[in-house]
Amino acid sequence: MLSDALIMFIVLAPGFVALTGLVHKWIGDRIVMTATTGVVLAAGALSLAQLFMYAAGVGHAGEQASTEHGEILTQHIIPLMPWIHIGEFNANWAIRVDTLSIVMMAVVTGVSGLVHLYSWGYMSEDPHRSRFFAYLSLFTFSMLMLVTADNFIQLFFGWEGVGLASYLLIGFWYQNKAPNDAAIKAFVTNRIGDFGLALGIMAVFCIFRTVEFGPFMAALRENTLVTPIAFAEAAPAREVTMDFLGHHLPALEVIGVLLFIGAMGKSAQFFLHVWLPDAMEGPTPVSALIHAATMVTAGVYLVCLLSPLYEYTIYAAGMVTVVGAVTALYAATVGMAQNDIKRVIAYSTCSQLGYMFFAAGVGAYEAAMFHLFTHAFFKALLFLGAGSVIHGMHHEQDMRRMGGLAKFMPLTYVAMLIGTIAIIGLGIPHTQIGFSGFFSKDAILESAFAGGVEHVSFGQMAFWFGIIAAFLTSFYSWRLIYMTFHGPMASDAHDDHAHAHDDHGHDAHGHDHTPHESPWVMLVPLGLLSLGAMFAGLYFHTYFVDHENEAFWAGAIYRAADNHILHARHEAPEWVIYLPLIVTLGGFVLATLTYYFNRGFGRKIADSGGPLHALFYNKWYFDEIYNATLVRGAALLGNLFWKADKKVIDAIGADGLAEVSQVTARRLSAMHTGRLYHYAFVIIGAALVFGGILWMRAGGVN
Amino acid sequence: MGGFPILSALTFMPLVGALLIMFVRAATTGSRSADAAATSGRTALLAGLVISGATFLASLAAFSAFDYGNPGYQLVEQYPWYKTISYKMGVDGLSLSLILLTTFLTPICLLASWNSIHTRVTEYVVAFLVLETFMLGVFTSMDLVLFYIFFEAGLIPMFLIIGIWGGKDKIYAAFKFFLYTLLGSLLMLVAVVYMYVAAGSSDFEVLEKFRFAPEVQTWLWLAFVASFAVKLPMWPVHTWLPDAHVQAPTAGSVVLAGVLLKMGGYGFLRFSLPMFPDASHLFQPFMFALAVAAIIYTSLVAWRQTDMKKLIAYSSVAHMGFVTLGVFSFNEIGVQGAIFQMLSHGIISGALFLIVGVVYDRMHTREISAYGGLVHRMPIYASLFMLFTMANVGLPGTSGFIGEILTMIGGFQASTWAAAGAALGVIFSAVYMLTLYRRTVFGQITNPALNDIKDMNWIELVCIVPLALLTLLFGVAPNLIFNMTEGSALRILSMMAGG
Repeated sequence: MLSDALIMFIVLAPGFVALTGLVHKWIGDRIVMTATTGVVLAAGALSLAQLFMYAAGVGHAGEQASTEHGEILTQHIIPLMPWIHIGEFNANWAIRVDTLSIVMMAVVTGVSGLVHLYSWGYMSEDPHRSRFFAYLSLFTFSMLMLVTADNFIQLFFGWEGVGLASYLLIGFWYQNKAPNDAAIKAFVTNRIGDFGLALGIMAVFCIFRTVEFGPFMAALRENTLVTPIAFAEAAPAREVTMDFLGHHLPALEVIGVLLFIGAMGKSAQFFLHVWLPDAMEGPTPVSALIHAATMVTAGVYLVCLLSPLYEYTIYAAGMVTVVGAVTALYAATVGMAQNDIKRVIAYSTCSQLGYMFFAAGVGAYEAAMFHLFTHAFFKALLFLGAGSVIHGMHHEQDMRRMGGLAKFMPLTYVAMLIGTIAIIGLGIPHTQIGFSGFFSKDAILESAFAGGVEHVSFGQMAFWFGIIAAFLTSFYSWRLIYMTFHGPMASDAHDDHAHAHDDHGHDAHGHDHTPHESPWVMLVPLGLLSLGAMFAGLYFHTYFVDHENEAFWAGAIYRAADNHILHARHEAPEWVIYLPLIVTLGGFVLATLTYYFNRGFGRKIADSGGPLHALFYNKWYFDEIYNATLVRGAALLGNLFWKADKKVIDAIGADGLAEVSQVTARRLSAMHTGRLYHYAFVIIGAALVFGGILWMRAGGVN
Repeated sequence: MGGFPILSALTFMPLVGALLIMFVRAATTGSRSADAAATSGRTALLAGLVISGATFLASLAAFSAFDYGNPGYQLVEQYPWYKTISYKMGVDGLSLSLILLTTFLTPICLLASWNSIHTRVTEYVVAFLVLETFMLGVFTSMDLVLFYIFFEAGLIPMFLIIGIWGGKDKIYAAFKFFLYTLLGSLLMLVAVVYMYVAAGSSDFEVLEKFRFAPEVQTWLWLAFVASFAVKLPMWPVHTWLPDAHVQAPTAGSVVLAGVLLKMGGYGFLRFSLPMFPDASHLFQPFMFALAVAAIIYTSLVAWRQTDMKKLIAYSSVAHMGFVTLGVFSFNEIGVQGAIFQMLSHGIISGALFLIVGVVYDRMHTREISAYGGLVHRMPIYASLFMLFTMANVGLPGTSGFIGEILTMIGGFQASTWAAAGAALGVIFSAVYMLTLYRRTVFGQITNPALNDIKDMNWIELVCIVPLALLTLLFGVAPNLIFNMTEGSALRILSMMAGG
């Protein structure tokens, strides 16, 4: 492990260097770009070195704490400064170093460094380069704060901080409508998730009297007696039941579900996934970094971090599995029918995140983290490759206008091929031959199968959904390759300028409109990521999911005594081990037949207007349904309440009072007629009435 | 006791200053041309700045004399006044934090008026200084009668500020403001008289120890809350606020949102909880319901606004809902969170009104649709506006987050429904603030009048940047506040528990 000073550099330096963006007017774009890129690349190199050292077992430093049951937890906390301290409530700024955070630091800073570098090329003509680089570094800092938090509140800081950076970067080209819409949609959808996350944190504090991971997880690991503040009786941690919204429920299930809602928002899972495809309005390097490799995996990270919680829930873990499995399949079906190159990859991301979630849901947290790790390489590679295509095609994103690009940009083509082979998980079972995705995806599918055998809820379903999704993944990935790089160049690519998407308003460049290969600053990151996409699985699988996994994780991931899923997966029957390969090849064959040998096929399906194609093409109509119900509903309510303010509350309140007093005054003044006989009449009448009353009170006729 | 009466000095310093300005003004009234009027206006503003700046320094002196370890009232001054009513002043962490907020915001308000107030400037400065004295008096009083006088008197200068220097419908807004607050206060007056007669004293410390019978508490509680609910404001007596804000000049809005609303929350904590604990418990569900209604209802209404100031005003109502939630959670986290939320909202909403004022001064319209694309001409403005937008939606790292999350955590322990409802409001706050920002700052410039709009000048920066720094400082190191308010929060809660 690195020294505290170096770890503080990794986490904090990107935050400080982001501030240079504030003064770019005085120091110039170049310095901002150099400083941010340099710092983040340095942080990336350090983090990767740390990961390799850690895996090799060099310096497993940190405080080792043995729990009652003999598990070893290696963790090192670097306190930074106190934050919120009220009574029992304690949340400090700190850096938590354990295997989970070391893996995440490597992923975040590694990809971020490469994306910084890549952006030198991709954003070279943008007038707001400094702002872009500052946002990227700000994002990196927030993400690092998230993954190194030692309490829920700092995690929430990072969680919303990355949300802010994502919002700013999606809407980076703020002069256009679409990026602005997408940015707000992303922020608000994430806020819906955060609603769950925040309530989950409140429930944690209410039951466990702490928001710090240490005591919270220790209580769960050791099942100690907890004395909740309210709504529950003192009980062993795993058995507490609480009153929540009028229902009496197991506290861990409530907390697990609420926190997972947060994860669903950030990781774009089914129901809360709608923002991710729209987020592609941001510059492509952003899509690679935030919306593929790092931020969207925060939800997976959260579930894995909270393995001591999800190990003792049935419904919450089942929900994680179901939502993951459904998303994996759903997003793959939509990905098949999209024509925008970035949207295909976005749905692919959504789908792969689904794999990670159902792995965690069935209890194979290590497999989930492993896929998170390998996915970061090949998905960032695919996105940056797509960015290279878009750059080379002068900001064209529609694959129908592409084709035959392999000969114009051979290096990008090779990189995309590597990414594709990695994402479809091609590899030969029982050997070490395969790209990264092979190791991690097969680990997930086998775990889900093993979970099904051991009657983990929804394990069977997750396995089959995963298999079908693997078939579709292979299909849409090859479809992308064929549509983009093979066949003839689409004829209308040259004269049709209706390319709105990744257009930041400088059509002037690239006058001849011939596709061109990207500059070296963009190709070097592709090359490095290709290495990761090829070998990360091979090198790391023993540590993440195989023989050395317990030493590697060192207690950062917890499994209950009866969870043997990582071992059980090796006992899967042969057909389970070969099935992923078979469906992957099946998808490849189908895509080749339809998009390579018979290029008009895709358009024919689209033109035929079949209901299934329409459903997939329109993303199962989620946007339409949400707009018709939630958005319209809220707007109607808002208008209604606003009218109520004027027409009901004010009518009864101030305006009403004013009205009543005016009317009364008018009536009263109308009585002042100035005619003597009116007054005399009133006086006499009043005298009679009062006299009568007195007379009655005095006893009347008696 | 004994020693220099720092609180009295602090409280009356602005009033004395105002009187001085009026005397000087009366003495020099002879030669008046338009030019001279402008000069004398500027002089008066400068004098006002000096006086309110000195008041701020005096409050810092009081702060430095304040002992964190002592949860009770400090720096107490007491002089006999009438029978058992005495002139008594003192502060605890709660009131001191609000005093600092007041003295900090007032000079900013005056400076922000430098370029936006052109008529009757001297009178304006006088009104503001008088208002400051009354606001400070509310927080320094330790006697119910004295408190009531300050509490009511504050209405008058504010009424004038809206009614004279306000916008198109200033008369309607001023009267609405006055009517609502006065009606609430009249009920409180009845309660004050009753309490004085029953307890034989109007001294806070006596009243805090005096236990009113539970059924009496109910009526007294209702009478007090009638007044505080209007001030805060709570739903459904909030409708005066949007009108008042829209019509008030920028500085009026700042002080209204920044300080005057806080008197409601202060009242809950100073009177309702410690003096009527049984009634407070009785009405807890009712207050939670109103708090959640305020948060959700006004957030949705805010979203539908076409007027920038109205939007911020409705957002204020929603954010004060968190204060109610925290106060009536009756636990330390909730109460500390509520106090923090008051300070934080004072800074953030004040800054947002200043932000609106910046473009209003240039364009003389508050219609959101008249803007769009400001980022192309006003990058500094866009950055600061973004910061406060995020602070208003409660982004962690800003003070807005601390207040919201703590009041919700406190509220959760009392009612999961209330916490869930409030958390829902957090979603809506993102909707309306981001929509506002997007429609005014992002996009293309469509209104040709915006082509020559200038970025913020140094006066505006001097006003807003300190608020930005405080928002971030308190977001990262909120213990600066909690250390100060901890004693009073715990003391209030122990009085509730009957200690």
